[in-house]
Amino acid sequence: MDKLWLRWIPYIGLMLALAACSVQSPSELAPTAAAADVSAAEDPARLSWPEVESSARGVTVNFFMWGGDDNINRYVNEYVAPQVLAQYGITLRQTPVNDIVETVNKLLGEKTEGKLSDGTIDLIWINGENFRTMRQGELLYGPWAENLPNAQYVPWAEPSIANDFGYPVDAYEAPWGRAQFVMIYDSARVADPPKSFADLLEWTQTHPGRFTYPAPPDFTGSVFVRHGFYEVSSGYERLIGPFDETVYADNAGAAWEYFNQLEPYLWREGETYPQTIDQLNQLFANGEADFTMSYNPAFASGAIARGVFPDSVRTYLFDAGTIANTHYVAIPFNATNKAAAMVVANFLQSPQAQIEKAKPEVWGDLPVMAVESLPESDRELLAAIPQGVATLTAEELAANALPELQADWLTRIEEDWQTEVLKP
Amino acid sequence: MANRSVKAIAARRGFILLLFPALIILGGPFLGGLAFGLAQSLGLFSVVDVGGPTLRFYADAVLSSDFLRSLLLTLYIALVSTALATMLSLGLALLLRRSFRGARLVRLLVQLPLPTPHLAAAIGVTLLLTQSGIFARLFYAAGLLAEPSDFPALVYDRGAVGIIVTYVWKELPFITLVALAALRSAGNELEQAARNLGASPWQAFWHVTLPLVAPALIGSATIVFAFAFGAFEVPLLLGQSYPRVLAVEAYMLYQDVDLTVRPGALALNTLIAALTALAVPPYIWLLRQARRAW
Repeated sequence: MDKLWLRWIPYIGLMLALAACSVQSPSELAPTAAAADVSAAEDPARLSWPEVESSARGVTVNFFMWGGDDNINRYVNEYVAPQVLAQYGITLRQTPVNDIVETVNKLLGEKTEGKLSDGTIDLIWINGENFRTMRQGELLYGPWAENLPNAQYVPWAEPSIANDFGYPVDAYEAPWGRAQFVMIYDSARVADPPKSFADLLEWTQTHPGRFTYPAPPDFTGSVFVRHGFYEVSSGYERLIGPFDETVYADNAGAAWEYFNQLEPYLWREGETYPQTIDQLNQLFANGEADFTMSYNPAFASGAIARGVFPDSVRTYLFDAGTIANTHYVAIPFNATNKAAAMVVANFLQSPQAQIEKAKPEVWGDLPVMAVESLPESDRELLAAIPQGVATLTAEELAANALPELQADWLTRIEEDWQTEVLKP
Repeated sequence: MANRSVKAIAARRGFILLLFPALIILGGPFLGGLAFGLAQSLGLFSVVDVGGPTLRFYADAVLSSDFLRSLLLTLYIALVSTALATMLSLGLALLLRRSFRGARLVRLLVQLPLPTPHLAAAIGVTLLLTQSGIFARLFYAAGLLAEPSDFPALVYDRGAVGIIVTYVWKELPFITLVALAALRSAGNELEQAARNLGASPWQAFWHVTLPLVAPALIGSATIVFAFAFGAFEVPLLLGQSYPRVLAVEAYMLYQDVDLTVRPGALALNTLIAALTALAVPPYIWLLRQARRAW
């Protein structure tokens, strides 16, 4: 009776052997992938554009993207999807995900398991450290993005387009839109919002418990912390470029001191932080916090239009400026329908789709096109878009835009925030 | 004699052969996943080279200052929710065993949490218990609070109240149904006999009823404990930013953009599985004690 379990040993052994056989180490895979004969379907970047379009007809494109914003989901499902179906015969199927890292992980798993073709993901919305991870893990198909006909409107020469958080894009992803950080407050509750980190500390000391920010690695919380770094450091210019331990060490101490000084005056005395930006938006909408923040300058206007935020909500920038970046779409290495994914990416970049996306009631995302390269009619359409009450003008945003740090800075700041600020 | 044992062996082989398809389905993904996770926790099959096989990730996990805090928090949440759920379930089972007006409705209500997903339960608790939640607003409207935000912090809090409330609500019907089944199958003749022989209600409960349901209670409580110890979704939604339960720590490591820390996530997962397995010997011992007592 006691030794019954011994009988299982051969079977457990067999299972272990089976499990071991079904996975190959990445080093074993690499030569196979390189040696594989790549057909036109697998490398549509070699085809002419009419050939790409004709091979894309009747195909389904699975678009994996962050699904946390109803407006964005509506834009993709109710505008982009019907358009690409009507214009190119492509069925666009959106798969909303909570954090695109999950999708990057899924692709990593597929690469480890040796699933080199017939992947389930055709198009993926990414930028920043996820793009870097995917490039480093060789998880992306490319280069293709500069082949798109609508790439003519995209200012590829601009450093903020050609580099994604400081990492060279090399046409492995196509720009989709631009974002810039804004602070959001209710002018009915707060008369004079603090426009620097020094003022913010003072404000929280007189209004304890009314301010907080999402805990990094939340995307928005992370950029808020970087703004603090910029202001407290000896000038953000020194932080631009590849990660530098000495420069980091020179600046990190003062930054963590600042955030620890701020902590006791935060919501819940800084004992806990909102885990996500959605949670902070809820605290703001419920009146538990007096500020929220967004990477989308038009987010607040959209929320007012939907009745989530009161009409008195406004956005503002720090006096020192706020961080701006570009977001992109990319095609995974094992995508089944690469040609169709390229056609969708091209449509996303079209003046028509970009102008629709810029409307505040639709999404309010900043267009990725160089306005001067557009035909006169499109320029007029763009100028005619009414901005929401809470949205700052494109000129004001552009005049106060700060560059992003490279991904290595980001991850280091996020990590050290956990140890230096979050943990007691 | 020899012939018979050969037959017996042949019969057993046939039996195992018949079981094989089921074993593959059960054992393949489970044991295969466990083995693959174990291998990855040792730094093997890693996406980026971390120089395995190595026990470094276990050492890092256990020696980090966060590990003890996480372990204590995890144990605290699992033990408190299991204890509360078990005690409440026993009371409920004793109550539901009798027939009274509306008993059917109560039984239906008790079963309501069973099909509710943990995520939905966690969101429900958020809506009710946050400082801008329904209770905070009701108390404020009733004039009991000066501000809704004066409501005590019951979610994302140090005491993990929100997490425990979710687990107790969710696991209550499971333990109750198991206990109720045990009570029903045992009948109430033994208790009546005890009462007839002069036992007080308390004595009858302590010496007769409780030992009758103890094995069922211990079994279901162990399952609840093992679940609460290893689950991550409710603490992820309702927990404090720091410290975090072991499963959430593992999840955060797994989601980290830095791929070199991923084996650490699997090392933590293996530790969680091993610690859960540690609950098996006390479970068997308790079960024996309970049977012996009866």
